Amino acid sequence: MLPLSLLNAAQNKPMLVELKNGETFNGHLVNCDNFMNITLREVYQTNPDGDRFWKLKECYIRGSTIKYLRVPDTLLDAVKDEQNRAREAGRSARGGSGGGGGGMGSRGGRGGPMRGGRGGRGPIRGGRGRGRGA
Amino acid sequence: MLVILRDGRKLHGVLRSYDQFANLVLEDTVERIYHANAFAENWHGLFLIRGENVVLLGEIDLDREDDIPLHQVDYHVLEPYHKQDADLKKEREDAKAHILYEQKGFCKEGGEGDGY
Repeated sequence: MLPLSLLNAAQNKPMLVELKNGETFNGHLVNCDNFMNITLREVYQTNPDGDRFWKLKECYIRGSTIKYLRVPDTLLDAVKDEQNRAREAGRSARGGSGGGGGGMGSRGGRGGPMRGGRGGRGPIRGGRGRGRGA
Repeated sequence: MLVILRDGRKLHGVLRSYDQFANLVLEDTVERIYHANAFAENWHGLFLIRGENVVLLGEIDLDREDDIPLHQVDYHVLEPYHKQDADLKKEREDAKAHILYEQKGFCKEGGEGDGY
């Protein structure tokens, strides 16, 4: 469970976002992306000293300005349950026989030889997939 | 796990996950503050820390944790002392940076500054 997938799973959950400058934003997560850019709704903003407050209907925060996010403790359990359910569902859908021939194949791993196409034909590189990251 | 952030915060928690940016998920997190030979804890819970802000991440030996010579006090008691320490340190760092800039020909440090 990568940190950013956890954030994705936290949609519509309440959270506290602290920026690098110490300002905090309390609100419900509306959306987020892989840069950690987020939108919140029903937001309470506080200044770095915590003595002034603003209420915002909705706000957008650039990911690079974030220091950390605090999310509900129950989220981790919820996500684990969800993963287990998904795995169970996948297993029963494929059935007991065969079992899908290994994880890599079924998940579409990064360009192993089984993928075919232009595998190992010199300088031409696979279209998508700039390695890891965004 | 102990995590130290760029603003000087020390977080103790269970590392649940991380990625290539050193973004971290910490569960059951407490923030610890220190002053002289006392420390205090403030409960936070589940944290998602942006990797940029991490200075240090280290495993804690829970057996040795038991015989630390510090004694724990209430967070609210220690907080003003800790804040005073932090302010004092910032003041000193600012003075140092000022002298380096004015007299020694150093450039100013950009960014948010480091509190750790």
